[in-house]
Amino acid sequence: MIIENYQHKMAAHCESGSITSLLNYAGMKITEPMVFGISSGIFFGYFHAMKSFAFPTFIVRNKPGQMRKNIEKRTGVKFYTKEFKNQLKGQQALDLLISKGIPSAAQVDFFYLDYVPSWERVHLNVHFIVVIGKDGDVYKVSDSYFPHLVDLPADSMNKGRFAQGNMSPKGFMFYPGFVPESFNYEKAIRRGIKKACFNMLSIPIPFLGIKGIRLFAKKITDWPSIARDTEHLSHEVMKINILLEDQGTGGAGFRFMYATFLQQASEIIHKPELKDLARELMEIGDGWREFSLFAAKLGKNRDLGPEKFQHLSNLLYQRAEKEEDFFKRLSKTIK
Amino acid sequence: MKEKDVLAEFPEQQVIVYIEKEDGTYDAIQTGSFISANYIDDFFLKRKNLEKALQEKIEKREINAIGYYMIYEDLTISELAARMGLMKWTVRKHLRPDGFGKISEAALKKYSMVFNVASEEIVSRQSGNRK
Repeated sequence: MIIENYQHKMAAHCESGSITSLLNYAGMKITEPMVFGISSGIFFGYFHAMKSFAFPTFIVRNKPGQMRKNIEKRTGVKFYTKEFKNQLKGQQALDLLISKGIPSAAQVDFFYLDYVPSWERVHLNVHFIVVIGKDGDVYKVSDSYFPHLVDLPADSMNKGRFAQGNMSPKGFMFYPGFVPESFNYEKAIRRGIKKACFNMLSIPIPFLGIKGIRLFAKKITDWPSIARDTEHLSHEVMKINILLEDQGTGGAGFRFMYATFLQQASEIIHKPELKDLARELMEIGDGWREFSLFAAKLGKNRDLGPEKFQHLSNLLYQRAEKEEDFFKRLSKTIK
Repeated sequence: MKEKDVLAEFPEQQVIVYIEKEDGTYDAIQTGSFISANYIDDFFLKRKNLEKALQEKIEKREINAIGYYMIYEDLTISELAARMGLMKWTVRKHLRPDGFGKISEAALKKYSMVFNVASEEIVSRQSGNRK
């Protein structure tokens, strides 16, 4: 069975894309940038030494799951959510939803999705897909990162949904149980922006927000001493580009999508200053892209001397300064 | 960012990028992945070299097949232990070059599930009989 009237659409990011898609299906007209902005998706965090990561890494969005929770708080939507200890019960619940014609989002480990090309496969327990059908033992999946609907065997779906480890999915799934006819856009947008500014400027943790960008700038010069060898270092440096551009960010580590949100918000709440700030953030994003393209080129050429890492560090310090100034002014504008 | 600056030809991996259109508004476009379009060969070269280097380490008894897949799949001991549902010290024991033979059938099956490769493949990698 396939839920026929579900419209698959690619999106920049899996969580904001799944939420947008499910809300659109439920009748709420909302764009992905608006979901991302209202839910304060924009963020930065640098993790230099964490037991779960084999090499230092960074994030450019808020905590997985937080977008859904923030959308609930700010729009009045109520999501039905469920986790499972038992794999069979988790599968039965998903199948039951399909039989009732309810598309639902499922959290999975990206690594076990057969339709993902080998070069993209990484162990990442926080990928979201929307399950819209099942034919025999094969699920029909709407994955925001793919242009068309894809097939996923039940065995792989179960491996993905019940993978263990850091942020394990535990069969988690959700769908909108209640969608209001309307909500106060202005209030939701303002709350979303305020929280994003707080996250970027004021969280008192040294590796999060602007502080995180500065820590990244400081620590990236240590990377050569952490890598196994030149090829490993090259791989990790090129991953900067993947994390900023390729792994579902809409470009420049979500900065382009957030700029789009600000432009849309400016029209909705009649605040032209937001349009100017959107333009500024687009330019800041261009700088992030310049940084990520430079990193990719260094990695490809194995041009990994200390002066190159110093240059990467300088580019990051510049991003930190620009973003600090930007979010301070955004915060004042929205007060 | 203008549309012309992000377009890349790579049908196998499409992404959504938000760009500035001619009229000054921002919107999403679908394009190929820039890094895959330009650097995928380099990625495969590095994977091949990593496979070879790790296989040599198995042969020199510096690591075993579990260590091979752990490194290859970018997992840490902590993460692998969590995914296996085992204590870290147990996984450390399994990772010792001489620890492979002490891994139970059930644990090997679980490793094969975590790494998403057949148990036979792990065993043949350990014995160096891979085709």
